[in-house]
Amino acid sequence: MQPTPIVTLAAAEKLLKTLEEFLNHSEAFFAMIIDRGGTILSQCGRPPESTDITVLAALAAGSFAATRELASRVGEAEFNALYQQGSHFHILMNAVDDDTMLVSIFGTQTTVGLVRFYASRTGQEISRQMHELRTGPLDEAPIFTEEDLNTAGEVFHDTEPKN
Amino acid sequence: MAIINYANKEVQFKIVYYGPALCGKTTNLAYIHSQIADTNKGELVSLATAADRTLFFDFLPLNAIVIRGFRTKFQLYTVPGQVIYNATRQLVLRSVDAVVFVADSQWDKMEENVESFRNLEENLARQGVSLDTIPYVLQFNKRDMPNVAPSHYLDFLLNDRATRVPSFEAVATTGQGVFDTLNTVSRLLLVKFAREAEAAAAARRPAPNPIAGLAAGLRQPQNSIH
Repeated sequence: MQPTPIVTLAAAEKLLKTLEEFLNHSEAFFAMIIDRGGTILSQCGRPPESTDITVLAALAAGSFAATRELASRVGEAEFNALYQQGSHFHILMNAVDDDTMLVSIFGTQTTVGLVRFYASRTGQEISRQMHELRTGPLDEAPIFTEEDLNTAGEVFHDTEPKN
Repeated sequence: MAIINYANKEVQFKIVYYGPALCGKTTNLAYIHSQIADTNKGELVSLATAADRTLFFDFLPLNAIVIRGFRTKFQLYTVPGQVIYNATRQLVLRSVDAVVFVADSQWDKMEENVESFRNLEENLARQGVSLDTIPYVLQFNKRDMPNVAPSHYLDFLLNDRATRVPSFEAVATTGQGVFDTLNTVSRLLLVKFAREAEAAAAARRPAPNPIAGLAAGLRQPQNSIH
């Protein structure tokens, strides 16, 4: 496993710009960079209406991981892309590196070939940025300390009294 | 692995509920989902069979407290407990930050509890993680059943370590012990995260120059003699 990714302000801007360019070229309408655990690192564009992208990311990571197992059964390290075709919307998932994926959603205004072509190129750029993000120097201070936690109270509250 | 996002001012963590089949992992998430305010929870997604047995995972995203302007976010997952789904459990454990091990308190489930706990250790080891380094807690569920083992026996079975982890009696169907379990594991996780962040920050600070330190010491006025 690679070190904890820390998305600094500068890194977030770079990732967003990369996704914007990808959407402009590929004509997909939504793209997000997620880690293989299903957490969103960056997103751009508009997902289909009423789509919960947090859930989408978790499911995408899960389904991609499942195909990795499938790949290993036929002697491949992994399938580096996974395409789900629908009537109106399609989803393309690309492996970026060992810990990161690019998920694109597009409709009938473009083609899977075009999206796949630009996703592959964009993936290389994202991979470079993710490497910098994991290994580069960090200027930001720690975000909170143990002392802060001592005064923070409960992490979660239930809305009903306990039985 | 935790993800820190300075752009959104968020820190995200992944907690996995692990345990034998039918021990109540999904029931824990369902209760949590029913009790958290709408503004702080996402959809509870269950990838289950027609008989409501978890096939892939259950997933519940939650927003939690804000600390120093950073929103903490937790993604709760369950694994399928059935023995045959081990490959799926390995997938769900990927990038895990903390674990809740849910044990079934009934006497006739002890063997399954132990087997599942061993399976957890093996699956964590496959991704280079150990229960010695990852925060986890134990939950002894189904305390309302007639044939339950005493908690100290479950502790003896599953918590027999140099440093014992917190354990909680629970009845997930009514919510008893559910939030105690969740709050404790999240706090353990946040403390670990804060300690690691402080250690990393300390490591980034330039090492003090011993000659400069000596010179500064010589410049200090000596006001008192001890």
